[in-house]
Amino acid sequence: MSDALLRTPFPERAGAALKDTFLQEALTIATTKFIDLRKEAFAGFPPGEALRDRARAIKEATLQHLDVHLERLADSVERLGGIVHWAATAEEAREIVLRLARDRGVRMAVKSKSMATEEIDLNEALEHAGITPVETDLGEYIIQLAHEKPSHIIAPAIHKTKGQVAELFSRELHGAFAADPEVLTAVARKALREKFLQADMGITGANFAVADTGTVVLVTNEGNGRMVTSLPRIHVALMGIEKVIPSMSDLVVFLAILARSATGQKLSSYTTLVRGPRRAGELEGPEEFHLILLDNGRARQIASTLREALYCLRCGACLNVCPVYRQIGGHAYGYTYPGPIGILLTAMLKGNGSVRELAHASSLCGACKDVCPVRIDIPRMLVELREHLDREKIAPWSERMVFRAFRRLLLSPAAFRLSARAGRWLQRPFVRAGRLRGLPLLFGNWTRTRDLPPVAARTFRERWKELG
Amino acid sequence: MAARAEFLERIRREVAKTPGLFGATPAPRPVAPAAAAEAIRHELAERWPEALERFRQEFERVAGVFHRARDLEAVPEVIAGIARKLGVRQVVTWDPAALGFDAAPRLVADGCAVAAARAGQEDEATRLRHREAAAAAQLGVTGADLVLAETGTLILLSGAGCPRSTSLLPDVHVAVFGRDRLLESLEQVGVMLEALHVDADLAMSGATINFITGPSRTADIELTLTRGVHGPKEVHAVFVEGP
Repeated sequence: MSDALLRTPFPERAGAALKDTFLQEALTIATTKFIDLRKEAFAGFPPGEALRDRARAIKEATLQHLDVHLERLADSVERLGGIVHWAATAEEAREIVLRLARDRGVRMAVKSKSMATEEIDLNEALEHAGITPVETDLGEYIIQLAHEKPSHIIAPAIHKTKGQVAELFSRELHGAFAADPEVLTAVARKALREKFLQADMGITGANFAVADTGTVVLVTNEGNGRMVTSLPRIHVALMGIEKVIPSMSDLVVFLAILARSATGQKLSSYTTLVRGPRRAGELEGPEEFHLILLDNGRARQIASTLREALYCLRCGACLNVCPVYRQIGGHAYGYTYPGPIGILLTAMLKGNGSVRELAHASSLCGACKDVCPVRIDIPRMLVELREHLDREKIAPWSERMVFRAFRRLLLSPAAFRLSARAGRWLQRPFVRAGRLRGLPLLFGNWTRTRDLPPVAARTFRERWKELG
Repeated sequence: MAARAEFLERIRREVAKTPGLFGATPAPRPVAPAAAAEAIRHELAERWPEALERFRQEFERVAGVFHRARDLEAVPEVIAGIARKLGVRQVVTWDPAALGFDAAPRLVADGCAVAAARAGQEDEATRLRHREAAAAAQLGVTGADLVLAETGTLILLSGAGCPRSTSLLPDVHVAVFGRDRLLESLEQVGVMLEALHVDADLAMSGATINFITGPSRTADIELTLTRGVHGPKEVHAVFVEGP
C-alpha cells in the first residue's frame, strides 16, 4: 500500500470511505450476498460443523510440527524435479523471483491471484526490473489497470462499478466497450488469453501444499490458475509456510469448507493440484517448477500470541460479517490484508506498531469468530493486541492515561463512588433528551457519532444499599 | 542449503516452545490406501446408479450439460451432436487409445478439423503444433478419471496422451466417463488421492490433477455471474451406459 495513504491517519481514511456513497452501497450488496450464500451452503451441509473442527485440529497439529512438515514438503517437491527456495523475509522472496526471471530472460509474467505476492509487493519489484507482471484474475486485472489495490480478499474489485470498468477497459485496451459485465468479461478473456500464451513465467500462490506428495493446490473459479500453471515454461509458486498440510486426507477436509465459506459454492469451479514440472511423456506444462517458502514474520508467532492467525485460509468470510469492514471496505485498512483477520495478519507481518490504530477497528462483536471456517478466535487476539500496545507504550499517551485512570477507579470502591457523584454533577451541561451528547475535549471523539446513557440519578450501589 | 538449514532451525526453535499449546492430530491417512480404494470401488459397484443421479443433479446445478451414450461406440455421435449444435469447426481430443473411442472419423465427416494428442509423441514440434491446435479449438474432448457425485465434479489426471489444456483452452469441454469412475463423497476422493500417490512414480504419469466443477466463472464485476472468463463457457458430461 502506498505510503501516502498510510500517512493519513486511520480515522480520516475511514471517514473518507464512509462518505463514498457508491462504496457504501457496493459493500452492503456484496457482503450481504456473501453472508447469505455462506449461510445457505452450510445449512444444507450437516457435516460442515464437524469438518470445521477437524480442519482447525489439522492446522493446530501441523503447526505443532511445522519444521517436519516443511522438510517433508521440500523433499517431495525436489524428488519431483522442482526447486525449493527459502525466503525468511519479503525482500528475500522478491530477490528470488527477480533472479529467476533475470537469469531466464523472462519479459512477462502472468499471475493468478495471490495474497502472498501482494504481501511482498512483488508487482512493483518486477516492474522496476523491467519485467511486466500481468494479473489474470478478472478483479485483480481491473485493479492493476487502475493502479489500485484489492479491497476484498476474494472480490478485489467490488469497489468499482461496471461503468468505471467499461471506461477503464476502453481507455487501456483501446476500444469502446459497453458497461455490461458479459461484454467486459469477454474483452478481458481475449486480452488475457494472448498474455497466457506469450508469457515466459507463471506466478501463483498456494491455497494448500501437501507435504506427503509435494502438491501445490490452487483454488480458483475463473481457470486462470490452470492457465498460469499450464502454459508458461516456468511456474513459480509463492506460499506462506503456514499453508503446508500433511496429507491428501487433510486436503479434502479443507476443500469441503473453503468454497462454502468464501462464496457458498460446494467446490470452486477449479481445484488444481500441481506436482512439480511436467513429467516425461506429458505434452504440456512448465519445464521448471519453483516453490518459494515465505516466512516474513510467521515463524515467530508459532508459540506466540497471534498463533491462531496462522490457521487462516484467506476465505474472506470474516470481512463480510464485520460491522467495521462493511462500513469502510478494504482500502481504509491501509495494508494488504483487510478486515478483522487482516488486522492480526498486519500485526504479524509488519509488527504490532503498525496496527496502533487498526487494533481498535473492531467492535469485538465476535461475528468473525462465528463464521471463520477454522474458528479463529479473532476477538480474543484483538483484545490481547490492545493490551500489548498499552503495555509496550505503543498506544497513544492519552489513550493509555484514560485506561490507567479507569483502572484506578475500578479498583477502589471509594473512588468509584466519588466518580459517580462527580460524573452526575459534571455531565449536566451535556445531557439532552436523556442522552449524553457533545462531550468536550478528548471525550468528544466518542460522542461525535454516538451518544451515551448518562450516569443514573441514583446508582445501582445506592439502590442496593436501600434494599439491604 | 545453508538457507534451508537456517530457516528450518528458526522454525524448530519456535516449535520447541509449543508443547502443551496444541493437542490435536491431523486427519488419519488410510492404513492401506490401495485396499481402501478397492473397498470403495466394490461398494460403488452396487450403489453407482444413486451416485450417477446425484452427480447429474449437482452437475446441472453448476450449469453442466448431462448426456448419455449407449456404449463407447455411440459416443462420437453424441459429441458430433454437441459440435453441430454449437457450430464447432475445430476439435482437440485426448489420445483415442486413452479414451477408448475415436471421435475423429465422425467429426471429420461433419467437416470438423480434429487434433488428437498421442501418447509417446512429445517432441518439440508436436508440442508446438498441439498447443496451437488446442488454442484454436472450440471443443475439447477428455475422459474423467474420477467423478464426484456430491459436488458435480469431474476429476482429470493429466498424463501421456492426456494433456491438461484440452479441458481448459476450448470454449466447450466434453468429458466422457463410465460407471466405474463414480464416487459419492469428497472423503472417498481423499482415499483415492492417497492411493494414487502410494507409489507416486508409478501411479501417475502426469503432474496435475484438476477438479472441474462446472464452467469457468467470475462475479468480479458488480457480482454479476459471468461464465467462460478464461476457461470453457460450457461443460458437458457424457455418461457411457454400457460396459
